[in-house]
Amino acid sequence: MPDLQKLYDAVLNGDQKTSVAITREALDAGTDPMVLITEYMVPAMDEVGRLFECEDYFVPELLLSARAMKGSLELIRPLLAARGDEPVGRVVIGTVKGDLHDIGKNLVGSMLEGGGFEVIDLGADVSAERFIDAVQAKNANIVCLSALLTVTMPSMRTTIEAMKAAGVREKVKIMVGGAPVTSQFAEEIGADGYSDNASSAVALARRLRAEATA
Amino acid sequence: MTSAAASSRQRVLDALNHRQPDRVPVDFGSTSVTGIHVSVVAGLRRHYGLEQRPVKVHEPGQMLGLVDDDLRDAMGIDTVSIMPARTSYGFLNENWKPWVLNGLEVLVADGFRTTTDTNGDTLLYPQGDLTAAPSGRMPAGGFFFDVIVRQNDFDPERLDPSDNCEEFRPMSEADLDVLERSVAGVQNSGRAIVAGFGGTGFGDIARVPGPGLKAPRGIRDVTEWYVSTRSRRDYIHQVFQRQCEVALGNLERIRQRVGNGVDAAYICGTDFGTQSSAFCSVATLRELWVPYYREINNWVHANTTWKCFKHSCGSVERFFETFIDAGFDIINPVQCSAAGMEPAMLKSKYGSRLVFWGGGIDTQQTLPFGSPAEVREQALRRLEIFAPGGGFVFNTVHNIQAGTPVENVVAMLDAVKEFHHA
Repeated sequence: MPDLQKLYDAVLNGDQKTSVAITREALDAGTDPMVLITEYMVPAMDEVGRLFECEDYFVPELLLSARAMKGSLELIRPLLAARGDEPVGRVVIGTVKGDLHDIGKNLVGSMLEGGGFEVIDLGADVSAERFIDAVQAKNANIVCLSALLTVTMPSMRTTIEAMKAAGVREKVKIMVGGAPVTSQFAEEIGADGYSDNASSAVALARRLRAEATA
Repeated sequence: MTSAAASSRQRVLDALNHRQPDRVPVDFGSTSVTGIHVSVVAGLRRHYGLEQRPVKVHEPGQMLGLVDDDLRDAMGIDTVSIMPARTSYGFLNENWKPWVLNGLEVLVADGFRTTTDTNGDTLLYPQGDLTAAPSGRMPAGGFFFDVIVRQNDFDPERLDPSDNCEEFRPMSEADLDVLERSVAGVQNSGRAIVAGFGGTGFGDIARVPGPGLKAPRGIRDVTEWYVSTRSRRDYIHQVFQRQCEVALGNLERIRQRVGNGVDAAYICGTDFGTQSSAFCSVATLRELWVPYYREINNWVHANTTWKCFKHSCGSVERFFETFIDAGFDIINPVQCSAAGMEPAMLKSKYGSRLVFWGGGIDTQQTLPFGSPAEVREQALRRLEIFAPGGGFVFNTVHNIQAGTPVENVVAMLDAVKEFHHA
């Protein structure tokens, strides 16, 4: 049995090679995959988020940790799916129509995965129809809309309106973010939450899930 | 040349030297980060009753429109621009031809060659070569091109820094000729000359993917580059070192051609800030970037009278002491909407040592979405804060974006005039 503290350290330090190796070793030794996630990887990503919030970590460190965690998750996910384990929540995420910027969206997606959510990433320049289709097809609980450009912020509003028209708005919580987006704008367009960074997006998603399931 | 234009250069020089100018100098269009979207340039030309003609797109990525002399006069602009001979997509800005952007007829350079993909997106090609993989994409109905990342598989153990330096080459004599002619052509404009020579932007993320290269090699993916600034620091140092050597050689050859005919040189557009934080620590900036910034800026200050212009979006106040220490004279765009970028604090702490080139009005909310009254109010407040003692060139926070109401741009410019006459 490998020393699982090393899995925590590898994710924290963004060492993908080690995190994958330890994960493989642990799974081969029969460790419950959910234990690897809940007791080591999620706490490591929570610590990454904390370090990011207090500016000991920056975007490159966040990306490296997310990669390390992702490498391990690729080994774990098929096992969880095979035994029917449910994630904390299912998130559909994408950059809205007309906007090709995806770094912020990718960071949020990675941090949500690190927080135990299943993330369905639709990429950039995503139409309202594709968000709606994904929510229905994947039975998602949360939709995350991202925009970097002032000229594409209105697409957030039209996406939410299209979701209302399609009858899926009430089935999900909607989070918005991106450089020009503000909490006031989020409120104006009828979103359920706004976050100004990837780490706090995880806390917001957890809170919205808790409210929905209370 | 008008008498107002005759004093423009002096006005900017006063501001750059932290002396009180006769009035606050104004820049629009002198760099690729202080410009105006072509659709707004067209709207301003209509508003001011200027000759109606298609506007030239001089910067294809952001679709910035060329601000001609008649519009400069109408807007009260004190600067003039010297752009590199080649655009970031690798083609020369010459031989203009018509092109239509969302129904608006504009002019683009002959090398601006596009196709339309099955989604209706417009694809732009490096060096105008339609046989190469496209390097820019404008979504259907969009207003800008975003760089398409073309990242080949690479062996992390066998990375070659020269691959990431392909775009940093000694300038050709032909490109130097263009530069020399451009500078000579505006020497008597009466306006301050702002030049972007190219080649001194270290790790500028807009350029890392190599949009002007037909087949970029090395680390070209944006995420991979950011990760590499942490995990492959030796490699990044080697890239910057090589780039710096080439840049110093080019700067000397440029100096021989243009001498002190330029007032400010755009050195680097690498963004270190995000809306609420930074891309790296101050320690990382000092370790990874400052040695090269120092070499460039020290050379400029030792050999020319050019002022060194640094652009960085976002929350970057934490880096200002380091920028000053590295020899930068000018900071842009002064994004006051980002965390920790409160205008009065910036002016009080750094106003005597850094020129604020920008910060005149917010382009994320106020200018595009506010009312003309809100625009006026914010512009006047910023002028009151930044103008005293010089050290301020009025400009928006980054380029004026597509979709910005022309009446808001006019309200902003009227506020500058109102401030002058107050």
